[in-house]
Amino acid sequence: MQRDPVTQELVKNALATVADNMVVTVVRTARSQVVKQSMDFSTAICDAKGQMVTQGLSLPVHLGAIMPALEGVLKVYGNDVHPDDIFINNDPYEGASHLPDIFLFKPVFAGDVLLGYLTVIAHHTDIGGRVAGGNACDNTEIYQEGLRIPPLKLFDRGVPNHTLFRLIQQNVRVPDKVMGDLWAQIAAVYGADREMLKLAQEHGVEDLRGYMDELIEYTERITRAEIAALPQGEAEFTDYIDDDGIDPDPIRIHVRLTVKGDEVYADFTGTSPQCKGSINPNFAFTQSGVYAAVRCLLSPELPNNAGYFRPIKVYAPEGTYVNPVHPAPVAARGLGGFRVMQTVFGALAQLNPDRIPACWGSGELGISIAGYDRERKPFVFLEFHNVTGTGGGPDQDGVDGGPIPVLNLANTPIELMEAEQPFLVEEYGFVPDSGGSGKYRGSLGVTRQYRILADEATVQVRSDRRRFLPYGIGAGKPGTPCTIHLNPDTENRLLPTKWLLELKKGDVVRAELAGGGGYGDSFERDPEAVAQDVREEKLTPDYARREYGVAIVHGTQDVDWEETKRLRLR
Amino acid sequence: MTNFRLGIDVGGTFTDIVLLGDDGTILTAKVSSTPDDYSHAILQGVQGVMERAGIDAGSVREVGHGTTVATNTIIERKGPKIALITTKGFRDVLEIGRYRLPRLYDLTWRKPDPLVERQYRFEVPERLNHKGEVLTPLDMESVEDVCKSIVEQGMESVAICLLHSYASPDHELAIAQHLRAAAPDMYICASADVLPQMQEYERTSTVVINAYIRPVLERYVAALQEKLANMGIKAPLLVMQSNGGVMPAEAASETPIYIIESGPAAGVVGALRLSDKLKQSDIITFDMGGTTAKVSIIEDREPTLAPEYEVGGGMNIGHRLMKGAGYIVRVPTIDIAEVGAGGGSIAWVDKGGALQVGPRSAGASPGPICYDMGGTEPTITDANVVLGYLNQEHLLGGGLKIDTHKAEEAIARLGSPLGLSAHDTAYGIHAIVNSNMIRALRSVSTERGRDPRRFILFGFGGSGPVHAVGMAKSLGMPTVVIPPLAGLFSSLGLLFADVEHHLVRAFFRILDEVSLEELNAHLDTMYEQAQDILGREGYEEGYQNIAIYADVQYVGQNTALTVPVPAKPATRDVLADLGEGFAQEHERTYGYRSDGERLQIVSLKVVGRGVPLSSRIPDRISAGTPASGLSPGGRGEGAERKVYFGPRDGWIATPVVSRASLAGGTSAGPLIVEEYDSTTVVPPGCSVRLDEWSNITVEIES
Repeated sequence: MQRDPVTQELVKNALATVADNMVVTVVRTARSQVVKQSMDFSTAICDAKGQMVTQGLSLPVHLGAIMPALEGVLKVYGNDVHPDDIFINNDPYEGASHLPDIFLFKPVFAGDVLLGYLTVIAHHTDIGGRVAGGNACDNTEIYQEGLRIPPLKLFDRGVPNHTLFRLIQQNVRVPDKVMGDLWAQIAAVYGADREMLKLAQEHGVEDLRGYMDELIEYTERITRAEIAALPQGEAEFTDYIDDDGIDPDPIRIHVRLTVKGDEVYADFTGTSPQCKGSINPNFAFTQSGVYAAVRCLLSPELPNNAGYFRPIKVYAPEGTYVNPVHPAPVAARGLGGFRVMQTVFGALAQLNPDRIPACWGSGELGISIAGYDRERKPFVFLEFHNVTGTGGGPDQDGVDGGPIPVLNLANTPIELMEAEQPFLVEEYGFVPDSGGSGKYRGSLGVTRQYRILADEATVQVRSDRRRFLPYGIGAGKPGTPCTIHLNPDTENRLLPTKWLLELKKGDVVRAELAGGGGYGDSFERDPEAVAQDVREEKLTPDYARREYGVAIVHGTQDVDWEETKRLRLR
Repeated sequence: MTNFRLGIDVGGTFTDIVLLGDDGTILTAKVSSTPDDYSHAILQGVQGVMERAGIDAGSVREVGHGTTVATNTIIERKGPKIALITTKGFRDVLEIGRYRLPRLYDLTWRKPDPLVERQYRFEVPERLNHKGEVLTPLDMESVEDVCKSIVEQGMESVAICLLHSYASPDHELAIAQHLRAAAPDMYICASADVLPQMQEYERTSTVVINAYIRPVLERYVAALQEKLANMGIKAPLLVMQSNGGVMPAEAASETPIYIIESGPAAGVVGALRLSDKLKQSDIITFDMGGTTAKVSIIEDREPTLAPEYEVGGGMNIGHRLMKGAGYIVRVPTIDIAEVGAGGGSIAWVDKGGALQVGPRSAGASPGPICYDMGGTEPTITDANVVLGYLNQEHLLGGGLKIDTHKAEEAIARLGSPLGLSAHDTAYGIHAIVNSNMIRALRSVSTERGRDPRRFILFGFGGSGPVHAVGMAKSLGMPTVVIPPLAGLFSSLGLLFADVEHHLVRAFFRILDEVSLEELNAHLDTMYEQAQDILGREGYEEGYQNIAIYADVQYVGQNTALTVPVPAKPATRDVLADLGEGFAQEHERTYGYRSDGERLQIVSLKVVGRGVPLSSRIPDRISAGTPASGLSPGGRGEGAERKVYFGPRDGWIATPVVSRASLAGGTSAGPLIVEEYDSTTVVPPGCSVRLDEWSNITVEIES
């Protein structure tokens, strides 16, 4: 086939458009806040061999998730793929991620030629199991985590599998949200099917397949060229998770990262064994974390497809925390995935000190509030606060409330939450003095306070970064710890990082999430910048004096230069 | 005596002026904008054109205005010191935002700083729930303290946004009242007045932006009115809104959030109204200037409205699904897809040896190489000069000398490592930028299930007519219209828009559980409000066109669809029809309907339009007089030059003609139509005619 570079560009854009249109359909038709507001889902197009060609706008933690899940489907159905089939899979031990993430795959046929597979993953609000929300971190085996759907046909040649639909519907707590989101996924893959056929018509089936292959090859070439241009070498980094909610011991994540020639190797040997609780990231998730972190050093325009993954090799011994084996629970594995990324960034920072900032502020708060209202109607609410703001960088401060480049997960509007669920949010704001100090300071931590209005509610929390804080770089200090208190105005009880409690009407949960790490020596920070932070009530004068050696004139809030000079003499 | 209407479109670089007579005469001027005091350039331009044509100021009956001043105030942070008053516990909502980012994997991106610094975001104890019920009463003592601080700190403008105020404005209004008593000259914007809709961040951001730009806009409008009055122009001043309607200047200075995207909207409305005259209801507008290209779609004579807009979002880094690039304003805005492609966009070769165009632009200064004003990197304009699409000696009717040789040299240098000749490189640049712009075009058509081939392409902007026909050709679109004054078309479009007001109220109710009494009370109030506003603006009953809509979704969905409320007062039957209308629209948009699921009303909308006494467009728009800007450019009739139309057609000796010379018959391409403000390129295999409004219609042979 004669490949024309202009057509190649057009096909690339058209495929990206098809994948993005699936995103649009899902956002607009989904029912749960986790999908429609937080956009916790991803779309992709794979070729007939299961190689990913294009990914729609999606979560970086889903980067490497799609191909293994499709491989799981094809292992079972490789010879039994027909037009208008839709495959479903949520089983982490058959390639999927964690049970709330339901994958749908729809083959696209042009005549009798299989063009590829259209994919939508969505994080569902509930998947049954012992704790509402499907994210419990105190499960100890996969069997407690909810409905496990191995690769199956949700549609068989266009005919819906009613048995399976009924089975899902009866096993989840909020069937209207779950089935609504599932239909949003179905609508998306159906719409994309039509668009793919139009493309095939426009370019011819064989040519389209050729251009899809070439897109993967091209991406691999560019990725290799860009990796080859990075500083070469090897770096090691270790970060920790406080505990798994069951066993009090910390979990060690260690990476040895090598940039050599046009390839990157990430070796997790030396990482703790898999944990008892359910914060284990499965291997595909670990790989996604590595892909996402490395991608930040390459040009943002790079397409996301199988060609990008090829030069990046990830190794983790089976049975370690980052590559757990059956029947390890994985429901709350998001936490592990973020720590994997932070570990890889820590190593990358050593090789690229002029580009990588200190650790972002976090706490990886996942909270689900569930129960029944007065009319015995169930409610399940689930939200994540994985990030508070960015770490201090080589030439600029961390951004308070700043999103990180490897996460596109929006917060939920308080007014919508309160209109749909029986609780209040009483505070949402920055915590002063909470960013790691440094020449460029880390972002401030964030507090979120909830008050239960239902007579009773089951509340489950996953959080971290209480003992092991978001790291600083150089002399930069870490961010403050993440704490969670029950009823701060009365008993003010400090709760563990991970817990499940039955709460009553009027109970208050207050989370103060960690600030970001600082970069460099805080005594080198521009005193004017410190004064501005004090004016903005982001830092207190005492803290400015203690951490930055900057004295602030009471009243005018200007820098007291004499005193500052004296303080900074050390 | 002929009466005139005056259109003034102020952009960052140029101020465009057009005078349209009710007999169809047109006079124009293009002058450099004066950002220190925009009215300076306006005055100069208007005076110039009126003197030139000997028009008396008294014959100007209306002034239409579009301006970039609101946008610039925000992007350049030139607004006054402002404060925000909010519910205790929530002063950081504005700064935290939504944790969205415009693109992934970019370590260098920073979100824009909030428009109100943290120490000026004040909290007062009070709390409502989503039904508007008071959970904590408003603490008047704190209100007093806050008001005192605000006055002491010398704030000029204050935004008030309390949690759930869309459900009850009482607390916000109490604060506003108190503040007004304490500081009678203070600008005060309450979110319940400006945007009574759910979602605290979006509402806060919107009311803060309004508070921030309001003092600036009020002064701007007052200064403009005064200068016009001094000139003897006492006609009403109407300002273009982002939604495609115009509003009186007084209303615009009170709620300037509505006029942020006024310039681009004017172009779209101009195209819409001309297409009406041509009896066309489905068009795609393509507006290409010096740095960006903007595309939007009009279907069934309705432009597509987006519910919100991000100021300063930037077209280059944005993605239509990625938010957070700019300051969000939740007001209906004509949905315009933008790409960083304009005459000044720079061509370059990437690391992988591929030819790329943009998004970097040489802008107005230093500009393209061929302008010989210090530009060193080849731009699209340079490529178009090398290809013969643009005049190789001068542009702007001789006002700008062109150095073709310099442009050709630079383009040859760019192409030589790729093994390409100068004209092959130039043609590659032209084709690549077309494909980038086609992406924007597809994003408003195919991505929304619309086949571009059943739409007509309207091409305008300084560079639009050079590229429009080529793009239409590659998309299979059969017809292109290049409207008159293509290079300053927004200023003409300003004169075609009707007065329009959008009223909106949150109404978060399950459809089946709606109290008809409550619903009708809301609708009546809003309807009367619309009648009242239009009445005050001189539109008597019979000249008011008021439509009612509801935003409806399935319970739990995120994006509501706007559906007409079929009748007033609403009855159960009317609501059933509303539900059916929603289901049909849902099926049309998303491919399925979900009967049996409950429906939720999110908000109510009333759109009031003033029906003009006579058509906004004269029966003809005439080409021809030298002052009109429709005059022949280039070397006059009978001229031709060599133009490159791609590897298949090669270089062709192509006639260079004026727009006026196309009158009375059909001409065949290839043709170059040169005029003062733009150049239309008509490739071989196309036919061209001119209509009574001086539109060039190009039919492309399939």
